[in-house]
Amino acid sequence: MTRFSSSVSQWRPWALDVATLLSAVVVLVGLVGLVGCTGRRGDRIALPEGGEAVLAKAETLKVNLTSEPPTLDWSKATDVSSSKVINNIMEGLVAYDLQSEELALRPALAEKWSSDKAARVWEFDLRADVKWQDGVEFSGQHVVDGFQRLLAKETGSEYAYFLFGIQNAKAFNQGQLGWEQVGVKLLSPRKLQVTLEAPMSYFPHLLAHTSTFPVRLDLIQKHATKWTEAGNLVGLGPYRLRAWRHDQDLLLEKHDGYWGNPKPSVRYVHFLMINEASTALNLFDAGTLDVVDQIPITERKRRRQQKEYRRVGMLQSLYYGFNTELAPMNNAKLRRAIAHAIDREKIVKILDGGEVPLTGWVPPGMFGYFSDVGLEHNVEKARELLAEAGYGEGKKPLPKLELHFNTNEVHQSVAEAVQAQLRENLGLELELKSAEWKSYLDQLKTKPPHVFRFGWQADYPDPDNFMNLMTSYSDNNRTRWKSTAYDALIKRGASETDREKRREIYREASRLLLEDGVAAVPLYANVSHMLIHQRVENYPANALSRFEFKGTRLK
Amino acid sequence: MSGKGLYILKRLAGAFVTLAVIATLTFTLLRVLPGGPFDTEKALPEEVKANIEARYGLDRPVLDQYLSFMGGILRGDLGESYKYVGRSVADIIGEALPVSMELGLMSLLVAYLVGIPLGVFAAARHNSAFDTGAMLIAVSGVALPSFMVGPLLVSIFSFGIPFAFLQGSLPPALWESPAHYILPVLTLGLRPAAILARMTRGAVLESIHQDFVRTARAKGVSERVVLFKHVLRNSLIPILSISGPLVAGLLSGSFIIEIIFAIPGIGKHLVQSVTNRDYPLILALTLVFSMMLVVANLVVDLLYGFVDPRVRPEKSGAGG
Repeated sequence: MTRFSSSVSQWRPWALDVATLLSAVVVLVGLVGLVGCTGRRGDRIALPEGGEAVLAKAETLKVNLTSEPPTLDWSKATDVSSSKVINNIMEGLVAYDLQSEELALRPALAEKWSSDKAARVWEFDLRADVKWQDGVEFSGQHVVDGFQRLLAKETGSEYAYFLFGIQNAKAFNQGQLGWEQVGVKLLSPRKLQVTLEAPMSYFPHLLAHTSTFPVRLDLIQKHATKWTEAGNLVGLGPYRLRAWRHDQDLLLEKHDGYWGNPKPSVRYVHFLMINEASTALNLFDAGTLDVVDQIPITERKRRRQQKEYRRVGMLQSLYYGFNTELAPMNNAKLRRAIAHAIDREKIVKILDGGEVPLTGWVPPGMFGYFSDVGLEHNVEKARELLAEAGYGEGKKPLPKLELHFNTNEVHQSVAEAVQAQLRENLGLELELKSAEWKSYLDQLKTKPPHVFRFGWQADYPDPDNFMNLMTSYSDNNRTRWKSTAYDALIKRGASETDREKRREIYREASRLLLEDGVAAVPLYANVSHMLIHQRVENYPANALSRFEFKGTRLK
Repeated sequence: MSGKGLYILKRLAGAFVTLAVIATLTFTLLRVLPGGPFDTEKALPEEVKANIEARYGLDRPVLDQYLSFMGGILRGDLGESYKYVGRSVADIIGEALPVSMELGLMSLLVAYLVGIPLGVFAAARHNSAFDTGAMLIAVSGVALPSFMVGPLLVSIFSFGIPFAFLQGSLPPALWESPAHYILPVLTLGLRPAAILARMTRGAVLESIHQDFVRTARAKGVSERVVLFKHVLRNSLIPILSISGPLVAGLLSGSFIIEIIFAIPGIGKHLVQSVTNRDYPLILALTLVFSMMLVVANLVVDLLYGFVDPRVRPEKSGAGG
């Protein structure tokens, strides 16, 4: 060993090390030189029809799309990423006045609409001066084609049920009736008539949703599944799809022939697809992104101090549901006791993101929100109710309940807070269990636990969208709570056209659901946290997460 | 047919069986996994869900689905993604895999160019300060997870923390130009470089004691030739052994690196396709990755023969 070591030391390893180091330096310098010479590909994007778009900073808004849109086929899209893009490429018969207090509807492709007194037969007058982005004139047939395609069995669209309210639409979707028997008719090329199964005062809301937008069957036939690719996709909106590099980015350019108002101002909207919120934040800090709309919990406190920070209330409520058929949760008094024992203010404090405590079912910011409905935090009452339910000293021993949620740090902290509150206020033990999302959904469908977390985000800002969930016939009612009185109220609410009368119907229904039946306990309404660069003016941050960039300007 | 040809043929047949078993197992596991591709937050009415499932053939008996899936693979048809409407699985993989391979190849280059010389020098200067330092770096490289190394490099080279003069020298994410490649390649390459350095050092230390080294030195061969020709060549077996899984692993993308640096590669799909229950994509990715592993191992086994005549397949047979 000694001999070997001495022989090694004779070969002057330093000479070797220095040579290697030198060559490494040369390679590194070469690399850096190469990097310096190569322009950034990101500022130039090749277009499918040839040539390239040069994205000058002053005329390009860079936004994070978070993920690859699963599809830009608006009859099939169901997620936020897809609709962020679609809502700029396309428009529907109606749209939202995003500045109005309860998000009122405003005309878009339809210049006016009306219904019979019962709100069962609707007529829409379509605009005459509208052209698709390829110059083809827009007509009522495109609207009918859109409805038919959404409802057709072969399309296999998830949101087909959106139009099940139309006469015979459901039977058509199941292949039992032909299209001619469905209550959609063109009275003239510019006048559309829709007849519903039952009165529905909020029907126009459905036509602001991407799934019901008009379609061009000629283009779908021509390009088959590729009709949504850049170069093929033609819309009616203020922006055109210029490039779509899957899983990487997507480029929109303003369409000069846009018929509506305001005309788009920003030339390019460049969407990047950054999944990880902290990566998107890094890109914002580095000046690459102009907007990020997700801030990780750990960053919120620090980011709130930034002048770019914006907080937007969302039409999204989070609740704990009970399996009302599973003992002992079939005891309404026990459910009521639990509802009274939960302190929402404390939960919101823990989350520390400006979430709004919620006792009612509909979130604030839309028609149907009530601050005086539901069971408030009241420990004394909770204890009384628990005793009345038959638990406590000299009575049945307290049950051990399971609380399930899908794996997520926010849901975990809420669950832990509720667990602590029920232990402290009622002496009740909750066992927390979390599961991966799809397994969780499967469990809620087949075997809901005692208590489970869930939420709802508005498809459209009408109370029916929220209240309908808990009807006995809704697939989204995972509580197994059934009330014929509630079902009847929801049906009445849908058909009532007088706004104030409608409001009272929903107030009564909310009471039935949350105070009497206690099928669920609302916890809070969610908010979204954003950073918007100072150079961006009038960014469409709104409760509906409807991102229409036509009003946005760059300084 | 030569012995080597027969050996390769046998190995390929074995690989085919392996892949068939993997495909069957994956298919079965996916059907057992709770939650299906069309279980959504907003529950669909049963009849709507039935229409969608019919569109993708999910309403047919499972055995039928299995047979048409296997038949599709044999014809080279991997099917259509459930999540990404209208996109074929072949398209998705065809777009994402090259990106991951690009990243993987560059990281491999870093790993071998840094790892092997580091290991050789450390061994040659056994127990010196250089050795200790190199191994300290190597151990940290193995121990530090990439979700720490990545952000650490980003804060140094993109945001200049704590070295302000470095601020903005490299972009923090994206995959657009060579400047964008450096941080993810370093992050991904660090760990295999460290592993290689440790393995090389160990192997070199072992063969440096052998008689033929002493003979070579006695013959007056220069130390550089001794080290890099005689010693290193005889130390390559363990390095080669881990190279199979290493190459396959690096080329198939890294979920964490791709997420941290927003790289449009395949690693992300592997994880997300499972969360989405995108059956065709999961199955295709599992097969592609298995195939890469099988091929990489086969190549490594063949390379053994070049490095060490004792393990040449003609002599030791298919089992060698």
